[in-house]
Amino acid sequence: MNAIFGLVITASIVFLTFSSPQLILSTMISGGEKALELTLKLTVIYAVWLGVFELLEMSGLSKKFANLLKPLNRFLFGKLPEKANDFISLNISANVLGMSGATTPMGIKAIRELEKYPNTDYAIKMFFVINATSVQIIPSSVLALRSSFSASSPTDIIIPTILATLLSSIVGILLVKIFVKKGK
Amino acid sequence: MSIYFIPILFLFIFIYSFVKKVKPYDAFCQGAKTAIPFAESIFPFLVSIFILTELFEISGLANLFTTLLSPLFNFLGIPKELTKLVLIKPFSGSGSLALLSEIFSTYGVDSYLSRCACVIYGSSETVFYVATVYFAGAKTKKLLVPIIISLVASLFSCVFACFICRII
Repeated sequence: MNAIFGLVITASIVFLTFSSPQLILSTMISGGEKALELTLKLTVIYAVWLGVFELLEMSGLSKKFANLLKPLNRFLFGKLPEKANDFISLNISANVLGMSGATTPMGIKAIRELEKYPNTDYAIKMFFVINATSVQIIPSSVLALRSSFSASSPTDIIIPTILATLLSSIVGILLVKIFVKKGK
Repeated sequence: MSIYFIPILFLFIFIYSFVKKVKPYDAFCQGAKTAIPFAESIFPFLVSIFILTELFEISGLANLFTTLLSPLFNFLGIPKELTKLVLIKPFSGSGSLALLSEIFSTYGVDSYLSRCACVIYGSSETVFYVATVYFAGAKTKKLLVPIIISLVASLFSCVFACFICRII
């Protein structure tokens, strides 16, 4: 991350110094403003979902649900600490169902939980790749946009999208299995 | 159908908690309380990634990259009109959604390019957003290999998207 950040920022600033130096600071500030806007939006979304998730946890529902996904998680991540298994299960199902507001808080929780244990490096990396390649079934934001442009059939992209997102996840999972060492 | 999903899910959760004698108000507040520290921990990372994408775009580097990579992407079957989307997608979700609507209005929503763009958009997540936000405050730092893996996997699905949209 440090290398990418340093490189891209330096290159951009060099370019802008020649073309329009007055834009550098204002662009950085407007970028920051957008970030703050998004953070505020996310805070509220997280508050709603984390509230609901607390209910899930206190009622024992999340435990029941996580047990259902245990075999799948075992295949993907190897042996998992129990609490991490719960968070990962919730995160993956939220991913599949396209509840994007719910995936992030569960994802952060899962990673923090995993980090408490030794030898979870592989699981963390696998978890990251699965989230980064996403396994969404209903691309809701695309559907909404297509409807607003009055597409003749807004939903005709659903099946290709599912196939493509499945493919990206499968390729990702395979690459992790090949290139990331287990139990290090 | 999918509009009923959330109501049914939430109803089920609340009723189940009631049956299990969980105090709903206390529990909900308990959970919601943790949203602020979450937001606090992701903010610096979001600021950095937004500044990065804005500078990348404004400086013209994004366009330069688009032109440079176009032939390679073309070779893989990705049309040159979609190169920018493929490049922006890993960095910025809102940026690529804006680009998507631009593609709709330029080429028509039912065109091959637009449908293809939709599949590309839906096929993977904003990789760098996931990398920054999920790992905000985390100890794991060595993400280079997983990031490369995710990018390769997304590129794979982009190529596939362009291919399948040609048949369907």
